[in-house]
Amino acid sequence: MTLWRKRINFSRPTISLVLLLFLFLGYPPLYAASDSPDPNIGSSVESPAAGKQAEEAGSVPVTTAEKPSDDEYGNVTEEEAGGGEELRIADPIEPFNRAIYHFNDKVYFWVWKPVAHGYKYVVPEDVRGIFSNFYENIKAPVRIVNNLLQGEPGFAAIELAKFFINSTLGVGGLRDCAKECFGINGRYADFGQTLGKYGVGFGFYLVLPLLGPSSPRDGVGWLADWALRPTTYVSSEWFSPESVGLYVHEKVNDTSFHLGEYEMIKDAAIDPYVAMRDIYIQYRMKLIER
Amino acid sequence: MKRWFGRLMLVAMLMLPLHAFAGVPLDTVKTNVNGVLEILGDPKLKGEAGKKVKEQRVEAAADKLFDYVELSKRTLGLNWNKFTPEQRKEFVELYRTILKNAYVDKITAYTNERVNFTKEVPLSETTVEVQSTVVSKGGETPIYYRVMKKENSWKVYDVVIEGVSLINNYRTQFREILGNNPPETLLETLRKKVGKK
Repeated sequence: MTLWRKRINFSRPTISLVLLLFLFLGYPPLYAASDSPDPNIGSSVESPAAGKQAEEAGSVPVTTAEKPSDDEYGNVTEEEAGGGEELRIADPIEPFNRAIYHFNDKVYFWVWKPVAHGYKYVVPEDVRGIFSNFYENIKAPVRIVNNLLQGEPGFAAIELAKFFINSTLGVGGLRDCAKECFGINGRYADFGQTLGKYGVGFGFYLVLPLLGPSSPRDGVGWLADWALRPTTYVSSEWFSPESVGLYVHEKVNDTSFHLGEYEMIKDAAIDPYVAMRDIYIQYRMKLIER
Repeated sequence: MKRWFGRLMLVAMLMLPLHAFAGVPLDTVKTNVNGVLEILGDPKLKGEAGKKVKEQRVEAAADKLFDYVELSKRTLGLNWNKFTPEQRKEFVELYRTILKNAYVDKITAYTNERVNFTKEVPLSETTVEVQSTVVSKGGETPIYYRVMKKENSWKVYDVVIEGVSLINNYRTQFREILGNNPPETLLETLRKKVGKK
């Protein structure tokens, strides 16, 4: 393997900066619900047993005892209140995180959003759809390896089959033929999730400059997945203008389908910082539980 | 062959009522959501005036589908009990307005999404999760509606998008405020937010 042919040299400030940029771009899904883990979230959690599990995890309010209440504004019992459990993440560096959140928010509105808007205006929807398919297809190694690591060889094989079908019949991944022609659904998987399944916790909440919601665990996960992306190897550098360019394009393309979503979340929130933190943890927990 | 067919028919018939019963929560949500999509896609409603009418109709549809009292109770959890009956009523109204301002007004911008209703999963004796997928060219987004039987209809008390529950998200935010403050402080925060609109 030529995986380690170049070491990341952290002493080079430009590289560190670029690295930070990546982590940020890696997470628009959390604001924009973009990098969408496919239909598979739904399809793989489909058994009622899985639903039950989620309940026990405390994220789902359960009402077991039916209690006729004549006054709907009456008191609630613990059961009706949906249990006191909620997902929490340690946030020991909240003031720092909040400052960075505000910085990222500005970057989104001043740079990222206008760029995605212009792109959406110029590039027709069908073409953007083709790009989405292409990037999804080329990321197959990330899903194959992580499905294997998560003890899902069946899904790894399905992802492999999908990759072959889409790369051939789907003309180099431009079309998701596996799904459209054969109804094959894969399974999303990333390395942060793999670590989570191995019992590694988030660590703590970490909003990185230019970067967005993350944690030490998921940051490491992102780096591991970067090494599994074929686009990383378009040049001999770990972070080359080519691979970075492709990644930025992937994210702009993705965001063009999700413009307005972050704005909606922010508008709806009482405290956008807390709302985003909660979305991050709920989203990541769900990926690990399923 | 004939006998086999007869048995098949019998099984099919036996399954019919069961299926009809199981489909009620899904159908309720589906009908309402499709109604909203129809309003949004109405070619007669154009421009600013059309947008206003759309908003009003979507809001009316949302009021029919959502149970805001249940939503409020589950969001506040046991903190609900700390509110006086008047405060509870005000809270429900403020919460409803915030959700409306944030989502209903924005949703009118959406037109060409397709929504597939896939299945329903019972969560408890009285609650069911209706699962749907919103399909666009950029991918699919799973949206699950959690519904509860109220009197004779099914009402939504939570919406889960990509695994993120709406009421859990607000619960975390409200708890930050209610942790060190009385209910009045939260109400004041909500009043300010609504007033800004």
